[in-house]
Amino acid sequence: MDSLQKIYRLALLIVIGGLAWNILPFLGSVIVMLIFAFLFTTIFLQSVDGLERKIHSRGVSVILILGSVITVGIWFFGSFIANLGSQIKVFTNKLQKEDFAISLEGLSIKIRDYLPEFVGNMIPESEKLISIAKESLGSVFQNILSLLGSAGSFFFLAVMIIIFTIILLIEYHDFKRTLVRFIPNKYLEVGLRTIYNIEKQISSYLRGQILAASSVAILSIIGLLILNQLGANMTLVVFIGIIAGLANLIPMVGPFVGMVPAILIALMNNLGNDVAMNHQLFGAIPSPFFMMDIVFMFIIVQQIDNNFITPILVGESVGLHPMAVMIVLLIGGTMMGPLGMLFAIPAAGVLKVIISETIFISKNSHLL
Amino acid sequence: MKTLYENYFKNKKSNNPVIQVMSKIPMFQNLSSSELNDVARLTHERSFKAEEPIFKKMAPAEGMYVIIEGKVEISDPDSGITFATLRGGDFFGELALLDEEPRSAMAVATEPSKLIGFFRTDLLTLMDRDPVVGNKILVDLSRVLGERLRRTNLELEKSK
Repeated sequence: MDSLQKIYRLALLIVIGGLAWNILPFLGSVIVMLIFAFLFTTIFLQSVDGLERKIHSRGVSVILILGSVITVGIWFFGSFIANLGSQIKVFTNKLQKEDFAISLEGLSIKIRDYLPEFVGNMIPESEKLISIAKESLGSVFQNILSLLGSAGSFFFLAVMIIIFTIILLIEYHDFKRTLVRFIPNKYLEVGLRTIYNIEKQISSYLRGQILAASSVAILSIIGLLILNQLGANMTLVVFIGIIAGLANLIPMVGPFVGMVPAILIALMNNLGNDVAMNHQLFGAIPSPFFMMDIVFMFIIVQQIDNNFITPILVGESVGLHPMAVMIVLLIGGTMMGPLGMLFAIPAAGVLKVIISETIFISKNSHLL
Repeated sequence: MKTLYENYFKNKKSNNPVIQVMSKIPMFQNLSSSELNDVARLTHERSFKAEEPIFKKMAPAEGMYVIIEGKVEISDPDSGITFATLRGGDFFGELALLDEEPRSAMAVATEPSKLIGFFRTDLLTLMDRDPVVGNKILVDLSRVLGERLRRTNLELEKSK
């Protein structure tokens, strides 16, 4: 290749890159939808293939499998929202009563007692605390309303992802064959190996993550039930467990996100309860409303997950160094927020496969 | 334009030449027509120009090829020896389905040829998706390789 051709190719690459960089923001949501659809396709592909062999119709297999998953999903979120609604109703009634103010006053005094004086002074007086709580409660309801407003766009996004997933699942093997047709003959075998390794990388990572998330959900449910035996008065245990499991899909940050609903529910259920208010973890560490117990329980679940479940189920599926994982997560989080963190590791795994195959091709180009 | 029903719900019965050629290959002979259809969906149809290499000696080996039409020459470029000239219905490179050793010979299309490639990654995918069919192919592949080894042994004994 002469230098002029190299310069021409480089210029072309820069122009294409520049165009892509400018167009990307407009296509952002479509790309996110396609990525989600592709991930769901990877998750359900094996089950669809299996069912298709039995009933001999791919379309019906896709509809049966996705239909049952969507039904379970709608049932889960529907009953979660209904239960949460009634929980909020009970909590709002509680707020109207006097004991709410007494509880908050007690909480404020308790926190002040345990903290050094200069930090304790930063905790607002009980009356101030009540007005702050009422104001923030108002903003919580406002946020819920705005969330309901954005439910429309979420619904559109979900429907589009489902449609893309159905099409991808039905046409997956044909799409793949069409893609392979574009590979020149001399790169066919290496190209197929690359595609296979990418597929394997993504599917093993996803399957491992889903199994790990299910284990975290089950462990969290067991942990919350144990806390209930100790008098934590937790409700929506199954939902909190499932949310903790789902949040666990986002590495490093997810586990902390998972414990937030549990702490909120504990606070809602135990406000006005003096026993819960004065509860101590192991009889020594102050744990008003069982908050420290919940944090401690989630830390134990995380330790079990990090040291036993994830290494076995996810293992070295992506084969990235822990330092690289952290860097990749930071990059993903900076670029796309939580979504970026969710996709960062499999994307890095795919990139790793592509780079290693490119190096292989450049080393063995005389043999191809 | 095909209707939605035809596209997605109707069983696609095929009598394409790929399946017809594949059904005569020893590795796929014991498969039922629906199993053969499944396997055919994993294969890749490729066209080669005259004198275009299919693979070179020592190239990384990923799988086997079945000739649908055309002519392919298997040779050693170092010694210049031609091992075989293969035509429609013949197959080559099947050892690569089992091991990851580089190609021991070169394959060149000596006239415009149409081939189907069935690669190790396809076999691994098949074994994941349908272990029964994957095992049938593996058993038949072992039979083909065993037969070839027996023939080589006989020829070795004859040449002594």
